[in-house]
Amino acid sequence: MVLEEEVQIPLDRQTVFNALNDPEILKQSIPGCEELNLIAENQMEALVVVKFGPMKASFNSEVGLDPSEGPERFKLSGKGDAGVAGFANGSADVRLDENEEGTLLAYTVNIDISGKLAQVGGRLIEGTSKRLAKKFFANFEEALLARQA
Amino acid sequence: MSATAESVQDRKAALKGLGTSRKRVEDARFTQGKGNYVDDIKLPGMLFGDFVRSQHAHARVKSIDTSKAMELPGVVAVLTAADLEPLNLHWMPTLAGDKQMVLADGKVLFQGQEVAFVVAEDRYIAADAVDLVKVDYEELPVLVDPFKAELSDAPILREDIKDETEGAHGARRHPNHIFTWEQGDQAATEAIMKEAPVVAEEMVYYHRTHPCPMETCGSVASMDKVNGKLTLWGTFQAPHVVRTVASLLSGIAEHNIRVVSPDIGGGFGNKVGVYPGYVCSIVASIVTGVPVKWVEDRMENLSATAFARDYHMNGKIAATEDGKILGLWCHTTADHGAFDACADPTKYPAGFMNICTGSYDIPTAYLAVDGIYTNKAPGGVAYRCSFRVTEAAYFIERMIEVLAIKLNMDAAELRAKNFIRKEQFPYQSALGWEYDSGDYHTAWNKALEAVDYKGLRAEQAQQVNDFKAGKTRKLMGIGLCHFTEIVGAGPVKNCDILGMGMFDSCEIRIHPTGSALARLGTISQGQGHATTFAQILATEIGISADEITIEEGDTDTAPYGLGTYGSRSTPVAGAATAMAGRKIRAKAQMIAAYLLEVHDNDIEWEVDRFVVKGAPERFKTMKEIAFASYNQAIPGVEPGLEAVSYYDPPNMTYPFGAYICVMDIDVDTGVSDVRKFYALDDCGTRINPMIIEGQVHGGLTEALAIAMGQEIAYDELGNVKTGTLMDFFIPTSWETPNYQTDFTETPSPHHPIGAKGVGESPNVGGVPAFSNAINDAFRAFGLTHTNMPHDHWRVWKTANDLGLHG
Repeated sequence: MVLEEEVQIPLDRQTVFNALNDPEILKQSIPGCEELNLIAENQMEALVVVKFGPMKASFNSEVGLDPSEGPERFKLSGKGDAGVAGFANGSADVRLDENEEGTLLAYTVNIDISGKLAQVGGRLIEGTSKRLAKKFFANFEEALLARQA
Repeated sequence: MSATAESVQDRKAALKGLGTSRKRVEDARFTQGKGNYVDDIKLPGMLFGDFVRSQHAHARVKSIDTSKAMELPGVVAVLTAADLEPLNLHWMPTLAGDKQMVLADGKVLFQGQEVAFVVAEDRYIAADAVDLVKVDYEELPVLVDPFKAELSDAPILREDIKDETEGAHGARRHPNHIFTWEQGDQAATEAIMKEAPVVAEEMVYYHRTHPCPMETCGSVASMDKVNGKLTLWGTFQAPHVVRTVASLLSGIAEHNIRVVSPDIGGGFGNKVGVYPGYVCSIVASIVTGVPVKWVEDRMENLSATAFARDYHMNGKIAATEDGKILGLWCHTTADHGAFDACADPTKYPAGFMNICTGSYDIPTAYLAVDGIYTNKAPGGVAYRCSFRVTEAAYFIERMIEVLAIKLNMDAAELRAKNFIRKEQFPYQSALGWEYDSGDYHTAWNKALEAVDYKGLRAEQAQQVNDFKAGKTRKLMGIGLCHFTEIVGAGPVKNCDILGMGMFDSCEIRIHPTGSALARLGTISQGQGHATTFAQILATEIGISADEITIEEGDTDTAPYGLGTYGSRSTPVAGAATAMAGRKIRAKAQMIAAYLLEVHDNDIEWEVDRFVVKGAPERFKTMKEIAFASYNQAIPGVEPGLEAVSYYDPPNMTYPFGAYICVMDIDVDTGVSDVRKFYALDDCGTRINPMIIEGQVHGGLTEALAIAMGQEIAYDELGNVKTGTLMDFFIPTSWETPNYQTDFTETPSPHHPIGAKGVGESPNVGGVPAFSNAINDAFRAFGLTHTNMPHDHWRVWKTANDLGLHG
């Protein structure tokens, strides 16, 4: 499944880019994120709880960041294991364009969900994923603006 | 008993024998919630088992950590392959000559595969403990498309047999290849395909689906360590075979195993095979010394226990320009999933797919089937059919339609032109079967007249014109089907399962007061055996069906039989019942002659009594004879009145039918509506017309489900996308149309009462009728073939691809 969306954030590109690499901001932004720890440079471990319709899954996730093309571009990839509920593999490619109102983030997210989640929640996964991606950037903007304030 | 004024007709009616629409005796308990299913069995101290299942379609199992699960209060044991290996039970043989992992041995090969078996004090603790078992997987590339199985970059699934070039059914050309099965004359058929004036070709896919019985699979194992006896209750369509397999696997002597199939809530082929749950419940009971129950849930049933179909059938059919069929060629790619666990007679790895010449006199034919391993659940069972007859019937009934399009000929006329004629029976088919009897033209003409076929075609043509003129957005499809089944497996000379010949049996005891008990080697799953077998016997021995108890399913009491599937109960066990009844009657004749003081040959049978020839006032009823057999010494005759018959059928039976479906389709939404469904079945002698009608209604509704939406679909990662009843289509009364049933009666010449079996005909014949209706609706717009299931989206897509949405 591929999700593509754009979001406008009223802050300059470097600030936005730095925030994408900031575990504290990420923890506040990721919906359902209960723990997030930097375990090595650009390597994080996270515990994320997601609800797909009637099913709740706790993903033990490993996320790798790739800031090498910053601040124009930011990539991450990761996988999450929710035990008997299933597992997820995904990656995100975010392009950051400066404009008059701040920064336009255009993201492409690739995500594959497997296991029981895919069986039971097949029809819910796309909607849930879109909602979560939107929520992430809304939270991200909120956390970032709160820090600036 | 003195002579009564009752007429022969009255006495006949009182028996409620053959041809009577007798109410089902089973329903008294079923309609009052008094059925006794596996999950109703509760034994003191019973534990519950539940599976940890793989979330991956293909992965190496690096480690299994059961420690957290074992710490949970109430958890008694967690079994893994390592625990089963010392018993040599971590793998088990399949019915198809392959072997299957009971619990994951180093790797998993399909989503939902059994990895560990948790045993706990109740099922809720077991379910919680399943979540606590930590399995470390290393994901492997997934193979879901059988056509990619032999590419150079294809992952090798069965590493356990990757170097074996010979399988249970001959040579294997690749580690992911199971067998090639060939029938017929390849050279002659291919020559015809080159030279014939007209050749139509099509790739026909019969998608993967699932029997989905209302009751899922389950078992209760109880090992009595004092007397060494194992009792196993379970959802078994073949309890005697399960006993033999359990004995061979476990090493427990067969007399120390008792297998009981209690009431079964639908089987449809899903309950023929042996599943890891059965094995694990047995091992767990042996290990713990107390009874262990395992019952799967709906998702487990849909995604792990045996699927059906999944045949990619590439066909060519050759004919003269005026529509006389010259030859049929078929190559099938059969997706068997991760283990070959098909339930077919041993010598038939593709079942009776070689009945694919159908109802037609096709002089030359060739069939090849390649079985392929993929990362999907194992199975390939006969879902309300006799071993791939559904696939065969769908294939030929689609190919006939495709040929009719190529010839620009009416499909009903094309069928009639090629039917095997009445006088050709017994008919030897090009692919090796001897059809016992049939009268296809009579049935076909009756069906066409019943629906006013000519009128329907005229209406359809008008509607096409109206559609083109923009006056309607609806189209009409006429789905024709004339199917021939092959059921009643089968003759021991060519049909066996794991070496056991596919005979069946009946044992009858007449009680002193003239009522009776009959036990059979089969097991009802809703077919109404207790009702219909009593009727067969009533007619044979002259005791009312109401006074005959039928028992099945307990291997300690019932005679050995191969079970109920493939519409074999009536053709085989029904024949055994009639033959055992005739043995009773033969002994009764000797007793009656003695009592009447005449020679054996001086009396004759009349409904319920032996009558002295020429002196109708002198007779002995079966009841009088029964009493005499127990209470007086009869010279030269043993006391009592009992008989056993083991029946080895001389041939299969070949029921047939003519089905016509009229469908209205909304081109803009893809919604289809069955306007009319006419089903004429010829199942030979009709035992109970009411039960036949019920069977036809049920089978047609399953056919509707399969043709119109029911599917086990996988995504490219090997996830089962239709693992719940949200996505797996089961029709309710809302979706189910009215059916108009009809019949002709062409008895089987070799069956003792001429019966052929009917339970599966409507599924076999229904699917092509529904599918042909959808295909036919778009024929005027250039469609040759579109695959099932014809759900609303796919029908809409078909219309869209044909440019009908403007």
